[in-house]
Amino acid sequence: MAWIALILAGLFESFGVAMMNQVQKTKNFFTIFLLISSFGTSFFLLGYALRFLPMGTAYAIWTGIGVVGGTIFGMIFYGESKDGIRIFLIGIILSSVIGLKLLS
Amino acid sequence: MNRQWQKVLIAALLEVFWVMGLAHAYDVFTWAGTIVALLISNYLMITAAQVLPAGTVYSVFVGLGTAGTVIADILLFGEPFEWLKMLFILFILVGVVGLKLITDEKQEARNE
Repeated sequence: MAWIALILAGLFESFGVAMMNQVQKTKNFFTIFLLISSFGTSFFLLGYALRFLPMGTAYAIWTGIGVVGGTIFGMIFYGESKDGIRIFLIGIILSSVIGLKLLS
Repeated sequence: MNRQWQKVLIAALLEVFWVMGLAHAYDVFTWAGTIVALLISNYLMITAAQVLPAGTVYSVFVGLGTAGTVIADILLFGEPFEWLKMLFILFILVGVVGLKLITDEKQEARNE
């Protein structure tokens, strides 16, 4: 459960960052609500995961998944580059997360 | 050192504090401290990123945050030091910093 919460926390984090960009374009109640609730959910889930997992591991995975989510989000919705190097770095992050899970 | 970079350093330090708080807070005071650290940390980081290159700011911030939480884990909370675990955490950091710095380069190229 802690691992699922942690991965979800990272995904909500990247959604929150995407909403931060969205709020700069369309500032209305709905986007601000999405912004606050996604960061809130992210911190809540991270807090849950931190009660069970070592801090350093959980923090690194949270930021790693957050950045991977944000990058893939940008590739799909904002037409950001799908360079080999970016895909490779995503691969490094995801395999390290799997590595940490296997070690635990 | 530049004032904006000082803000990034303080933000990273507070980041380690709120992560410790989320992991170990147990009463109203420790929870209040955790939330205050979280809000100030994010505020400093966002305002610094508006002035400095955002990807570089985030890279430094996350690098210090990761190092800080790992060290605090080992020194304060008796987490054992494992080489393989450190290596995986380092690889995540390499991936995150790499992705963020590539984004900065792209933005600078666009601004030129």
